[in-house]
Amino acid sequence: MAGGGTLGAGRERAKRGKPSKRKKKKRVGFVLDMTPLVDIAFLLLTFFMFTTTMTTPQIMQMFIPPQTDNVEVPMSKLFTIRVRGDGKLFYNPAKDEPQLVLMKDLKKLMFDANMKLKNQLITVLKIDDNASYDIVIRVLDELNLVEGDLVPALQKENLPRERRFTIAPMTEKDLEEIKPL
Amino acid sequence: MSKVKMKRTGFVLDMTPLVDIAFLLLTFFMFTAKFKSEAESEQKFQIKRPKASADTSKIPDKDLAIIKIAIDSANIGDTSYYYEMTNEKDRTAVYANAKGIDDSQRGKMQVKANLATLEELVGESRIQNPKTKFAIDADKRIRFKWLNDCMEVMRKKRATAFNLVTDKKQGM
Repeated sequence: MAGGGTLGAGRERAKRGKPSKRKKKKRVGFVLDMTPLVDIAFLLLTFFMFTTTMTTPQIMQMFIPPQTDNVEVPMSKLFTIRVRGDGKLFYNPAKDEPQLVLMKDLKKLMFDANMKLKNQLITVLKIDDNASYDIVIRVLDELNLVEGDLVPALQKENLPRERRFTIAPMTEKDLEEIKPL
Repeated sequence: MSKVKMKRTGFVLDMTPLVDIAFLLLTFFMFTAKFKSEAESEQKFQIKRPKASADTSKIPDKDLAIIKIAIDSANIGDTSYYYEMTNEKDRTAVYANAKGIDDSQRGKMQVKANLATLEELVGESRIQNPKTKFAIDADKRIRFKWLNDCMEVMRKKRATAFNLVTDKKQGM
């Protein structure tokens, strides 16, 4: 460590020669050798710096409906998003033909669809078993981001946002429909 | 003029500000440091979490039950479920009562489970402590089927509110 040598050296013997007998001795300030203290402090500091993890995981809340009998909803209020095994997304409002949609366009699409039907729209997400979890989270994330735009937009019309969203199982029929696309 | 040999005084550096800052940083890191749980340091797999946009909600640490869906080795097909609980009292009770857990696993914090055991564990956790919060910590490379099966288990045991663990997307 730096600071070798006697600490406070040079203060004593400021004057050479014999001091007079009753000369007031210059009081040497309280000197503490801080080197070991600093050593330990830095050791601990490096230890904590290396062991600490800055990025704590965050969470995405999910609510799934409990097992109930099928609830009948009007087809016209549905908005289906399907995720195929290869990660491609398809959407269709109500009974329309499914169309391909890119991840980056999903947000705008959802916003427009929601604004048309306000709180009536029910978003249905159907995911293929083979789709990767990464894609699923990205879609969910996009859908969550839309909420951030929707809430103020609906607020202007004095409508509190009520989210209607569900994850439904992907059926054979669903798969058939998006297969040729 | 006679040359007076000056006594060389050692190099003296005032370390006070340095020590101040060092201690400041030390206290900061000491208070922010969060250590890996026992189970985490024992586990052989590493979970690559999917990234999601910045969210303010952090993972709760009280009465938390985590279902980990991890890839065990380099082989992607090698996926399994792990169950982990933070509350020690509940954990002992749950692991003792749930069927499908053998004695060698009882003392551990984290247990490997299949779907049937998972269902037992989730159900038992809810009986022991209805306030248990669930989180699913899954690897981003797994197929959705694993998550879907897991959600089905949760649905059966009426644990309908849970959290998906993600990492913060950079640059947001």
